[in-house]
Amino acid sequence: MLNISQLLDEIKASPYREIVVVAPHTGKITFAEIAPGDRVHGPQGQWKELPGDRLATLERERNPKPVCAPENGEISLVHKELNGCFVEAGTPLVVLRHMLTRDEVQRTILQKTLHLFLAPERAKYYFTPEADKKIRSSDAHSVTVRDGMELFIMSRMKREVPLHYTGPDGVIYEVYFKYNENLDAGAPLIGVCPQAHLHVIHDMIIRVQTEWTET
Amino acid sequence: MSTTQSDDTLRKHKILVANRGEIAIRIMRACKKLGIPYTAVYTAEDAASGHVRLARAEGGEKSLFRVSSYHDANELMCVADDASCTAVHPGYGFFAEDFRFARRVAKRDRKMIFIGPSWKIIRELGDKINTKRLARSLEVPTVPGSDRPIYDEMEAERIAKTIFEFQQQQGIRHPLVLVKASAGGGGMGIEEVYDPDQFRSVYRRVRNYALRQFKDEGVLIEQRIMDFNHLEVQIVSDRTGKNPVHFGTRNCSIQSTGLQKRIEVAPGFTPEVINYSFDAQKVLDDIVAYSLKMARSVGYDNVGTWEWIVTRQGAPYLMEVNTRIQVENGVSARIAKIRGQDGVDLIAEQIRTGLGEHLGYTQDDISFEGVSIEYRLIAEDPENNFTPWVGQIECFEWEKAPWLTMLTHVPERLPYEIPTEFDPNLALAIVYGKDIRQTRERGIAFLDSLCLTGKDNRGNGLKSNEAFLKANTERILHF
Repeated sequence: MLNISQLLDEIKASPYREIVVVAPHTGKITFAEIAPGDRVHGPQGQWKELPGDRLATLERERNPKPVCAPENGEISLVHKELNGCFVEAGTPLVVLRHMLTRDEVQRTILQKTLHLFLAPERAKYYFTPEADKKIRSSDAHSVTVRDGMELFIMSRMKREVPLHYTGPDGVIYEVYFKYNENLDAGAPLIGVCPQAHLHVIHDMIIRVQTEWTET
Repeated sequence: MSTTQSDDTLRKHKILVANRGEIAIRIMRACKKLGIPYTAVYTAEDAASGHVRLARAEGGEKSLFRVSSYHDANELMCVADDASCTAVHPGYGFFAEDFRFARRVAKRDRKMIFIGPSWKIIRELGDKINTKRLARSLEVPTVPGSDRPIYDEMEAERIAKTIFEFQQQQGIRHPLVLVKASAGGGGMGIEEVYDPDQFRSVYRRVRNYALRQFKDEGVLIEQRIMDFNHLEVQIVSDRTGKNPVHFGTRNCSIQSTGLQKRIEVAPGFTPEVINYSFDAQKVLDDIVAYSLKMARSVGYDNVGTWEWIVTRQGAPYLMEVNTRIQVENGVSARIAKIRGQDGVDLIAEQIRTGLGEHLGYTQDDISFEGVSIEYRLIAEDPENNFTPWVGQIECFEWEKAPWLTMLTHVPERLPYEIPTEFDPNLALAIVYGKDIRQTRERGIAFLDSLCLTGKDNRGNGLKSNEAFLKANTERILHF
């Protein structure tokens, strides 16, 4: 059976994650007034509607675009040498040291506890229209999956093929892919929790919510 | 083809290669041949592609940039500015036939040259209905039918009647008329009419469907052509637009079920060897003359392809004009000679004339010799509706020969993961022979020598269209 205390202790031992902020596209980069050691905030508000602190501005074809902090954290490295330079898409700009939030801890533990159904090939994935409708109208938890049921549409090179779920019966607890996103083979698609284990998961969530303090 | 004096003007330019894979490699090679520096772009998925390796190895300063997407015009313009490019080569696909992109390149503050026809010509010939109207005004034959949406039942019946009569004159045993919702697309709202008496009811059904679905009751009426060969005429012209020349015809009739070309042959027919039920030489001469006539009339000012349907009765109809370099330009170049010299490179000609050089030769200087075929080697399963195969290529080797040109971005002997984001074209193999018999034999010899293996995630072996290509080699140019 799952040992939540042990998992939590493991995460507490190294509660940080390094986030490398990269240039989303090419352009001329101008850094904001930031330096290693500064604390920055990620998106705020009830729906994360307020963007994070501005780290830099990327200007392309006379359109300046802010590059914002994706999460709360402490700046550990700024590639200041690039200031004023033209950068390519994907160039590392800033490194953030981010302390895991409750949600992230919860997600990490869930990944270890749920049954993960993995992407068999590099492709884009969608739910079948029936499952998609159900998820949209309530949420993923309302969808019960059975072994062998047709659950996904796998799309690559403009061809679509149905994909059947294999694994234990249960409810979809987590969805790991986004609409129109290319997934690598072996990336998790969904996390499934058998009905009987739901109470264990709920206990875990309550423990994380109470024991994990966010800074 | 170019003189030393103009070489210096060419070398002042720098070209942004706004494409990927095989065509990017061909553009870079042509640039190298002309002594023009270039800049290539790539995305994260394409980091292992051959065009990236070539640019890294031979490109020099500021010759390779990673961008977020090939479809993002801002990225391309921004890279072009930073690398001080003076011209953009769009290749084929992506922005090649996008007149807005061509216009942006030519009209922005830091102006550049779009290597392709001028944007006005792309706009004019990019629209199929407009092309049809233009062709008709020049008495160039197009697929019989309406060249605008029809809203009037009487007029629709009149057009349908003439199409039925026309097919009867042509000796077609089962005349067919196609009724399409003008605003529709992707096969929606298309019906066939076999019997003239049924026309009215089908017309009304399609019209009502179109009104319901697209809020536009316009209907197109065309002849449905079942049994045809797909021919092309390669046109090359310089910026004066006054003296276009042709580089012969191509036959692209061997296609996959999704009507994607798989084998292309130059010339379009070989009446001296194969018997046709019609005067094939006259068809070839006619489509070349019609294509040149249209090119001259619009002032066509770069490379382009006029695509034709040729029926079993030997009647050619203009289908569309591709205002760009095509994948299969290599077969035409392979059989062509300029002033008796082979080694014609149509991409180099496109770049040279695109940058403003004069053509420097006339139609009389161009001659043709031999037969050339191009195989499109693709990881796909022809027995299963040409479904693309995805996985890792482990071995890709073939026997080298002087009559074989292999164009590929896939590394030999190194494992290569096929990116799923783009089409699964692996290589183009261009085979040359002095006549159709020799070309066929060499084609088969090449396919026999080919080693193409790989595995997907489940351990299944690579599927390719090799057997399909081989089986179809026998019937090339037959009609």
